[in-house]
Amino acid sequence: MIWVPLYDTTQGCSSYVIGDEVTGRAVVVDPLETVGVDNYLLTAQEWGLAISHVLETHVHADHRSVARALAEAVGVEVGLSHRAPVSYPFRPLREGDRLELGQVALEVWETPGHTEDSLSFLVYDRLRAPEPWMVLTGDSLFVGDVGRPDLAVASAEGAEAAAAQQYQSVRRFLSLPDYVEVHPAHYGASACGGLFMSKKPHSTIGYERKFNRLLQISDVEAFVEQQLRLLKPPPEGAARIRGENLGLVVEA
Amino acid sequence: MAVESLNMLWKQVEEGSVVLLDIRPQGAFTEAHVPGAVSAPYSRMGWAPAVRRWLNSQPGGVAVALFGDNRVLVETAKKALEQLDVPVAATFEGGVAAWQAEGLPLVRIPNLTADELVKNLQHWKVIDVREPYEWRSGTIPNALKIPLGELPHRIHELDPKARYAIVCASGNRSQAAAAFLAERGFEVGNLAGGMSVWLGSGHPIERG
Repeated sequence: MIWVPLYDTTQGCSSYVIGDEVTGRAVVVDPLETVGVDNYLLTAQEWGLAISHVLETHVHADHRSVARALAEAVGVEVGLSHRAPVSYPFRPLREGDRLELGQVALEVWETPGHTEDSLSFLVYDRLRAPEPWMVLTGDSLFVGDVGRPDLAVASAEGAEAAAAQQYQSVRRFLSLPDYVEVHPAHYGASACGGLFMSKKPHSTIGYERKFNRLLQISDVEAFVEQQLRLLKPPPEGAARIRGENLGLVVEA
Repeated sequence: MAVESLNMLWKQVEEGSVVLLDIRPQGAFTEAHVPGAVSAPYSRMGWAPAVRRWLNSQPGGVAVALFGDNRVLVETAKKALEQLDVPVAATFEGGVAAWQAEGLPLVRIPNLTADELVKNLQHWKVIDVREPYEWRSGTIPNALKIPLGELPHRIHELDPKARYAIVCASGNRSQAAAAFLAERGFEVGNLAGGMSVWLGSGHPIERG
């Protein structure tokens, strides 16, 4: 397996180029405008890969995505949750879908909470084992924290309901073995997480099971209360950025 | 690139006045490439100096053209060469599909998966191009063992009417061997992923 994370260190965003060295096919997950389309193309090329899939874990509200531009540059459609309310054509992904690169494969989990359309991707390298090796958790499970529930909803009740969904989604990861690596879409001080999010971009299920404070809470009401009480201010221009990522025309 | 200039480019490649550098990844080159093109996968790290060194070792008076399948990559590679004062006479960014659509020739080498090869082993003669010390991990039954470096002077041992599946450890050396044989008229396939996938899939092996 070829595994190349690309970061935006100013905003604490992570994106991933994941490839199959046998078939030379690659998937790019959550490509960032600050990294740039050219950089993803050049990185894939340097690892001997051709990009065959461009995916988003969800429609982002904190940073501009280049998923559409990258997908166009390589002649594919962006893969998004079937729930994504975007205005452009895309490849709808559903629970249990599998994206095959060759020996490397991704399996889709729907993990709503941060947004209704939040996905996670289990990553397999069957050259090594038939079991998942890592999980891309998007903005559901972070290192030390979980994704905030209020950026894609209009009301306080909406945020409360989303936080309750997030509780179910992040607890679902606890069904995975301890050794599975956790690779979220953010790290550090990103506005998409809470106060406890680590500067370290990656972790394991076992470490988070034991030391992630939000995963110690086994009561949905306490979880919701804690999430809402510790909310940071929303990222600057969140509604406008999300609108642009949805493909809507947004007034300046 | 206009069709006339594309045909002109192919003529120049064929007569040897232009060297066509294929900047795509090695795997894509093996699957299909322009006859006579040289595989030079672009990288931001050291690619242009290496190309310049190689060009300096070639007979003088040869112009350079670039072949790729993505505008960004072709443009980036072109700029990198020009920064080192290596002029680029022509570029083509349409990839093998657009090249073939113009009726121009390609060398094609199908990639075989381990599962495909094991099912069709009776239709293929296998050439294992690894070094002798690597055979201990096991070889595909009845494989001819010809290390990559010996292939050019042992080519007379091969049957021009047979189909050869080329095998190495990971699929890299076998790509080079397969391209070498394909350009000399042999019908070849390349075992994608090499013995690491064959062994990992639990397919039969021979030891000794």
